[in-house]
Amino acid sequence: MPNNSFLYSKPQQWRHQLAHYAASWWRMLLLGAIALVLAFSPSTYTREHRRATARQIYLGAWQVLPWFTALSALISLVIIRIVLVTALSYGLSRFGLEMVVRVLVLELIPLAAAMFVALRAGMAFNAAVLDPLASDRSEQAAWRLRRNLVAEVSGNAFAVLSLAIVSSVLVLVLAYLNVYGLSPWGLDDYTRTVGRVFEPTVAIGFGIKTLLFGLAVAVIPAAAMMEIQRFGRNGESTTQPGAVRLLFVLTVIEAASLAVKYF
Amino acid sequence: MTDPAIHATTDAQTDVAMAAPPHIEIKAVILLVLMTSLIAAFLLYVMYARGVFEVTQRLVLVSDDSEGVIPGMDMTFAGFAVGRVRRVELAPDGKARILVDVPRKDANWLRVSSVFTLERGLVGDPKIKAYTGILTDPPLPDGATRTVLRGDTGAEIPKLVASARTLLENLEAMTRLDSSLNASLANVQAATNRMGGKYGLLGGALGGDEQARKAMLALDRVNALLASADRRVFGKAGIADDTQAAVVQLNAVLQGASASLKKLDAVLAEAQAVGKNARVATDDLGVLRAEVDSSLRKASRLVDEINRKWPFAHKSELKLP
Repeated sequence: MPNNSFLYSKPQQWRHQLAHYAASWWRMLLLGAIALVLAFSPSTYTREHRRATARQIYLGAWQVLPWFTALSALISLVIIRIVLVTALSYGLSRFGLEMVVRVLVLELIPLAAAMFVALRAGMAFNAAVLDPLASDRSEQAAWRLRRNLVAEVSGNAFAVLSLAIVSSVLVLVLAYLNVYGLSPWGLDDYTRTVGRVFEPTVAIGFGIKTLLFGLAVAVIPAAAMMEIQRFGRNGESTTQPGAVRLLFVLTVIEAASLAVKYF
Repeated sequence: MTDPAIHATTDAQTDVAMAAPPHIEIKAVILLVLMTSLIAAFLLYVMYARGVFEVTQRLVLVSDDSEGVIPGMDMTFAGFAVGRVRRVELAPDGKARILVDVPRKDANWLRVSSVFTLERGLVGDPKIKAYTGILTDPPLPDGATRTVLRGDTGAEIPKLVASARTLLENLEAMTRLDSSLNASLANVQAATNRMGGKYGLLGGALGGDEQARKAMLALDRVNALLASADRRVFGKAGIADDTQAAVVQLNAVLQGASASLKKLDAVLAEAQAVGKNARVATDDLGVLRAEVDSSLRKASRLVDEINRKWPFAHKSELKLP
């Protein structure tokens, strides 16, 4: 089985492989930039494009939203309960709520949303968009592909954003209900805690991180697919194209966000 | 150049591929609007939670050390948050200035006589607390500067541990088997045991029933002695009666003595007169003696004259040894 990793290749091939990697990353960044430019160009928004975007939003967000929200609510409920009970048993109940908000809303939910969208939308992209254009390598076809990509990118980014925000709001409500029950008298205290967590830097970081997650999830699998269309599959890998790179980028974004917030 | 036919085909294929459930655009728009309003509501809620819409007044707390004080933390009054730290800065005099925003609706809890403390616990952030003793004082003005009192549990612990150790050592020394406290308690126990005997407290005080019995015997004797003495002294023909008679006699004797003394006075007066006369006589005797002396000197001179005259004359000579 041919393997093109550094460990299994000869040193004289390293330069070639490095160039290949760099070019691949460059194409991915270029695609992201083009998608962004097209997303902000009024000329992109034709009727056809609107339909495509609406379809992506429908597929990426509308269909998934109830299931994802239910699943994340269930898991969040378990985590909230564990954190609160543990905090209470150590006499640190006032820190429990803050920890729940910090860990779930700021970190876990956006990451889970990004992963979910990446898994689901990446596969949909393979099947629906690229196959009809597989044989055509003309310039126009490339632009058409890019236009479709814009719909894909904005749809996926919106999906990540909407899944993350809906689940976050739901987690905030669940956390309140877990701590204070149905009583409305804890609202002032709770609001203060949320206000303490969402400092300006944290709130802006949360927004930027979610947007970057959306972009990464939208662009990286698409770029990987386009590369396969152009240059063929490299080796006989059975993983989803761009999955490893996507994981790497998501981890880097998450780590950078944590580093900015807590160091 | 590409073939338009191919494009037509691919467009048709794409359209087929994109054939979607009905009202897809409306659903997408609904979702967009929902998400936008949710994000806007969330942003507004966070801004409200951060106190962006509150009308506040400023309070400046000055402290030597603001370690652990971070923007966003609460200032509490009776457990309720009445203010939020907006900024912490270092003043030119090296003191930390903690700028606190107090909402106007909560500012009535703070008065000019309010005291502010910065308490640091073992776990968690330090807490800024406000205490108002007299709620009828004038309200705290906007921009007021107050010194914050610090209570540092962490700094107190070593002192507390040192004191506790000394205390425990003392306690240990006190409770040792051979400690003076133990010995005292043993003595007290022995004393109380003795007090529980036949003679009670007396037995405890004297060191045993035998001694107490002796003391009781001695007391009985003293009692008997006292009764006898009473009989002898104050009884019929007792010492008291004799004494009384003696006193009467003594009175008579004293009267006699007084009369004798008067006579003695007279005798003394006589003697004084005699003495006076004797002095006069003595004065006369002096004159007489002078005269006798003079006569004797004259007779002596006469004898000397006769001796110098012949035949009684003789040669007088002095011989040196």
